[in-house]
Amino acid sequence: MAGYSCLVVEDSPMMRQLIVFALSRIKNMTVAEADDGIAGLKKLATERFDLIITDINMPIMDGLKLVRKIRSDDRHKDVPVIVITTEGSKEDRERAMALGASAYITKPIQAPQVIETVKELLRL
Amino acid sequence: MTARPRRNKNRPSDAPPDLRAERETFVRTFLHKGVELTEDLLRENQGLEAEARRLRDENTRLRAQLASNDAIRELLTTVEALERERNSLLNRSDELENAARQTEARYRNVEQELNDLASLYVASFQLSNTLSVRRVLRHLCELLEQLIGAQSFAIYVLSIDGKRARLLSGRGKAADGVDELPVDDASFLDACLTGVPKIHELEERDAAAARAAPLAVLPLSFDGEVVGVITIHELLSHKRCWALVDRELFKLVCAHGAAALIAANLYEAEAGPRAALDGVVAHAAQVAQSLNPSEPGHPVVLATKRGQ
Repeated sequence: MAGYSCLVVEDSPMMRQLIVFALSRIKNMTVAEADDGIAGLKKLATERFDLIITDINMPIMDGLKLVRKIRSDDRHKDVPVIVITTEGSKEDRERAMALGASAYITKPIQAPQVIETVKELLRL
Repeated sequence: MTARPRRNKNRPSDAPPDLRAERETFVRTFLHKGVELTEDLLRENQGLEAEARRLRDENTRLRAQLASNDAIRELLTTVEALERERNSLLNRSDELENAARQTEARYRNVEQELNDLASLYVASFQLSNTLSVRRVLRHLCELLEQLIGAQSFAIYVLSIDGKRARLLSGRGKAADGVDELPVDDASFLDACLTGVPKIHELEERDAAAARAAPLAVLPLSFDGEVVGVITIHELLSHKRCWALVDRELFKLVCAHGAAALIAANLYEAEAGPRAALDGVVAHAAQVAQSLNPSEPGHPVVLATKRGQ
């Protein structure tokens, strides 16, 4: 059975673990992790993913720059990207969507919200 | 004896012309009457035949109506049976809908509980997964920010004499300004004295803000002694009330936060994880011997057997 792969780019180990937990509840889903934008780009250089989830606020390279890079890369430009934002950062959210993000999730992260958004984007 | 009338000797043909005429008239009249009577009988017969036909038709119609009424009665019975079946199906459908709603609600509850358990597991795992003070503080801050939704909070540790609270970390306004507070500060005195978290309901947040009181004060305790305090002053705007898991996370922070900080602080002086365990076997043996000097055996096994 064909599976799905997802890259989670999040600097907080706690949030990353929570997202991975949520994704582990989707059948046939494999998850790769990266703790900042640069580490995420390194993974994207060697692997293909069906979905990318990235936090906005990260050191070294933030989520907005990562979204811009993904959308300018022919190999990944069509991959759905979910950005993680805080409820108050409406501006970041709008910028991310304008850059080509497919959906957003607000913190505090709730597993059902993650699962629902991922299933919607992957049409599961 | 009456005398028989005397028969005329003359033959009819011999009758006088007036009698003949009379006879012919009589015969004609007789025949005419016969014809009339026959015609009357024929008419009457025709009327009777028509009446018989009409009655036959009426009979046929009534029979048809009777059959039709029977069919209608049968159809009505069928309609009633179908109506009963329909009601039964509707009831069954309602029951199934209720069951589906209950299952859905239960599914949502289970999902929520699973999510809460995941949050607790992740928080506990991350807190106990490091012996670096910086990382412990980072995990505490992330736990408060990301899992509870705190926007402004401060983490304090108490001085050795327990009279002063020194700011260790935090976010937002709560972490700006004052670096040290006396423990008899009204905002966390009760929690420091009792070791019991003080949590205001979020409906009271305006009142708490007016008197600059924290929304929650969480004492960090170890071995029955309060060693630090976390004060939460502000939450994300969309958070309207404490969730059940928030209270469980508070318990976790109160119980594990102090231990994680103490362990990390002690570990800072060590050369590494193996060095930090140096002497642990000898220490366990000493404990085992002190508990039961006469019992032979491996000291660590003895210590763990006794739940030490």
